[in-house]
Amino acid sequence: MNKPTPAAVPAAFNRDIKTIVNAGLQRRHAAERRFRSYGLIAISLGLLFVVLMFANIIAKGYPAFWQTYVQVPISFDPAVIDPQGIRDPAAIESADYAALVRAGMRRMFPAVEGRTELRALYALVSSDATYELQRRIHQNPALIGSSQEIWLLASATVDTLVKGNIDRTLDETERSVKDNQIGWVDKLQATGKIEKQFNTILFSGGDSREPEQAGIRGALMGSFYTLLITFLLSFPIGVATAVYLEEFAPKNRWTDLIEVNINNLAAVPSIVFGLLGLAVFINFFSLPRSAPLVGGLVLSLMTLPVIIIAGRAALTSVPPSIREAALGMGASKLQMVGHHVLPLAMPGMLTGSIIGMARALGESAPLLMIGMVAFIVDVPKGIMDPATVLPVQIYLWSDLPERAFVERTSAAIMVLLAFMVLMNGLAIILRKRFERRW
Amino acid sequence: MSTTIIETKSALDTALRPAAEAGKQSSLEVTDYDNRQTVGAITVDHPKMVCRNVNVYYGAKQALRNVGIDIGANQVIAFIGPSGCGKSTFLRCLNRMNDTIVTCRVTGQLKLDDEDIYAPVIDVVQLRARIGMVFQKPNPFPKSIYENVAYGPRIHGMVNTKAELDELVRASLERAGLLKEVDKRMNDPGTSLSGGQQQRLCIARAIAVNPEVILMDEPCSALDPIATAKIEELIDELRENYTIVIVTHSMQQAARVSQRTAYFHLGDLIEVGETDQIFTNPKHKLTEDYITGRFG
Amino acid sequence: MAISQDAHTVKQFDLQLANLRNLVLEMGGLTEDQLKRAVTALDEEDMTAAREVIFRDRLVNGMQAKADDDCINIIALRQPLGSDLRMIMSLANTVTDLERIGDGAKKICRMAVQIYDGVSSPPSAKLLRDVTPIAALAAEMLHDCLDALARLDVEKALTIIHNDDELDQEFQSALRRLITYMMEDQRTIGHAINVVFIIKALERIGDHCKNIAEHIVYLVEGKNVQQRRNLDMSLAMSAQDKSET
Repeated sequence: MNKPTPAAVPAAFNRDIKTIVNAGLQRRHAAERRFRSYGLIAISLGLLFVVLMFANIIAKGYPAFWQTYVQVPISFDPAVIDPQGIRDPAAIESADYAALVRAGMRRMFPAVEGRTELRALYALVSSDATYELQRRIHQNPALIGSSQEIWLLASATVDTLVKGNIDRTLDETERSVKDNQIGWVDKLQATGKIEKQFNTILFSGGDSREPEQAGIRGALMGSFYTLLITFLLSFPIGVATAVYLEEFAPKNRWTDLIEVNINNLAAVPSIVFGLLGLAVFINFFSLPRSAPLVGGLVLSLMTLPVIIIAGRAALTSVPPSIREAALGMGASKLQMVGHHVLPLAMPGMLTGSIIGMARALGESAPLLMIGMVAFIVDVPKGIMDPATVLPVQIYLWSDLPERAFVERTSAAIMVLLAFMVLMNGLAIILRKRFERRW
Repeated sequence: MSTTIIETKSALDTALRPAAEAGKQSSLEVTDYDNRQTVGAITVDHPKMVCRNVNVYYGAKQALRNVGIDIGANQVIAFIGPSGCGKSTFLRCLNRMNDTIVTCRVTGQLKLDDEDIYAPVIDVVQLRARIGMVFQKPNPFPKSIYENVAYGPRIHGMVNTKAELDELVRASLERAGLLKEVDKRMNDPGTSLSGGQQQRLCIARAIAVNPEVILMDEPCSALDPIATAKIEELIDELRENYTIVIVTHSMQQAARVSQRTAYFHLGDLIEVGETDQIFTNPKHKLTEDYITGRFG
Repeated sequence: MAISQDAHTVKQFDLQLANLRNLVLEMGGLTEDQLKRAVTALDEEDMTAAREVIFRDRLVNGMQAKADDDCINIIALRQPLGSDLRMIMSLANTVTDLERIGDGAKKICRMAVQIYDGVSSPPSAKLLRDVTPIAALAAEMLHDCLDALARLDVEKALTIIHNDDELDQEFQSALRRLITYMMEDQRTIGHAINVVFIIKALERIGDHCKNIAEHIVYLVEGKNVQQRRNLDMSLAMSAQDKSET
């Protein structure tokens, strides 16, 4: 038991640690402050851009939620609507309601004469006004023969003018609205015959060439059907794949290969999936073009890797002690996964799926490839109807020159963002609610 | 007079020195560190499990070499040894928990009541129902206390009616000494209990399927002394109905709860014996060094 | 040092054990010294020396208290097991025996003071004749004991255990002789009783030495002498059985 000779004391031990540390202290603190300020600047910049973007979109899109209407005195002249007086529905349907509108307009401005002038006057109301009258008579045939003040949809030019988006100082030839029209609008405004109402058409209408009649309902329903297909396909398949790969698959070269490929798939540009969908689903399986079914299939391909990766991460985060406990009780592997691991991993899996779905909701490129970019007026009624989706609708509208479409584009973006926020919020709520502590 | 004492002392000191060098007299039968033959009686009169020539490999690495030991019925046997000595590995061989590790390979003979537990006809599900396990960290399922205990009987189809299940759950909790504490809150989550209560819940869960053997892998290492004492008391009571194998890092605990003790060292079973003999008069130098804290 | 030469992982434990051993050996040295002085004082009728031995017994008692405290502390703080545990228990028991030996020495001196109190006439030499060889025997046993303890020498310890019979026989024959004297001359009874007490004390010292030797055997071999004897007997019997068949 001979004691080892004590090692020589290092020279550094003889210096006073307090003074040494104090000497460098200021420098360390400065470095820390510097680093913090870098971070703060970066975050502020990021926030600033987000705020700018939102402000821009909201400022542009907000007016789209309001629509200009003109109050026109309409007399439902039986001579025009029902000349035979037999109340034949077919005849009533096909009556010349445009004449009633024109008559109403003339009644408001009796002084206007001449073809050009009159045409300019009639252009103040939208072509939808005709259908509006038709609808009213259809609903209530008793109106025939009466006279009523009716709010008719103003044309997009009037709408733009009322919202102050037309520069009146420009030369008449350079703007879409003529001097006389401006005069009439001013007069109507002065007498309270022009009014802005909440724009229900935006949410109830399909796409249209006329901005004042264009709505996002078709795109919304298209997005809904597409996402429905995507979810129904990718969630069960994704969860099953994740469970199999994580819990059951043997760890060998093949599963490694599959794993690498899944990770790579998540990084493949989405347009490639579109090409794949075009080649396989439309050309090979001859599924209809522009259908939400095909869109859903393509987006499923794109969402699957995301769900699988999130699912596997959620499975690995389940503590091994729970698995051991179940196995130690004599549970079979499937029972272990089904009773314990999957319920614990489910919130994580759901969150991953919802985030994947949100990504699919915002996706447009692959859908362009399979024809979901067409101009479709009708609201789709099923997964086989031709449809478009919200981001594609935004893309379509952003291409159109009319000023009224600019604000509708922004409004559609706002709706899309709202859905994204909603879905991400749902993901957070689900996680908070179902996450179990152990 | 003090000089005399000092003189005597120095005389004794000189006498003492050669003794330190000699050390020839000793209680140890094996003083050679390289002798890895198991010392002590590996057999018992009424074995519940019989293990012979057990070798365990993790890939190319051998984790256990030629372990042979009997586990007596209605006895508590403690496995002790430094970290990485293979005691937990051996414990996990006894209910085939090692099956979950792909690279793990077990050879040799492990018998439960004369049945080879590694025989192809034996299903692990059935085996683990007969040999329950309690783990180091209390790991109740994130379900209610009731559901935790009811889980085993449910998956094995032990009961037919809700009333039967209720009775079984209550009896198991009673045996685990937990019933009084949780009687009023059977539907609270198992994780809301304290650490010691959670571990007793895990024991209740294990005994709910009425196993023959209970394996415990360091069951008290995460618990405070009071909770530990309760578990130890419980182990002593359970001995009446079950055969218990406990792995522990605490020699005092092994001494308190077990009747037999086995000392493992670097993959070898060094010594087996009655617990009082192991802790007062071990036969192998390695055991002696370990229990007296001379290790390393 | 004891059985395993390796140091404990906790160095402080080694130090405590070594200190305890040294304390016990030191106490052994002191009691041995006390016994020697007591016997010398009796031999030389030196009452001052005898009183000093009586006075110094409190030193022995003090060391016992210290050693007991150390044992309790080590058990409480280190929870010794295996050879360490046997060491502590053996030393604790040894300390008790040593203290009794110290008491024995004190008793001898008390008796010496009574015998040579100067009031009655000193006893005749033949009464005290047996004391010297018994005292020498007891002193040798104690010395051997301490030696065996220092070296942890089991063989020596076993010899001591066997030699105790010799001392017992000496005591018995001395007792018989004293009875004879007393029967011959009743005036010697007073002194003879004191001498009986002295040789009885020496005999007890021998018993304590035997105890210490047994502690040493237990410390080293892990089994007590009784067990060992039974084992030896059964071994001998089985050997006999084999030779018979």
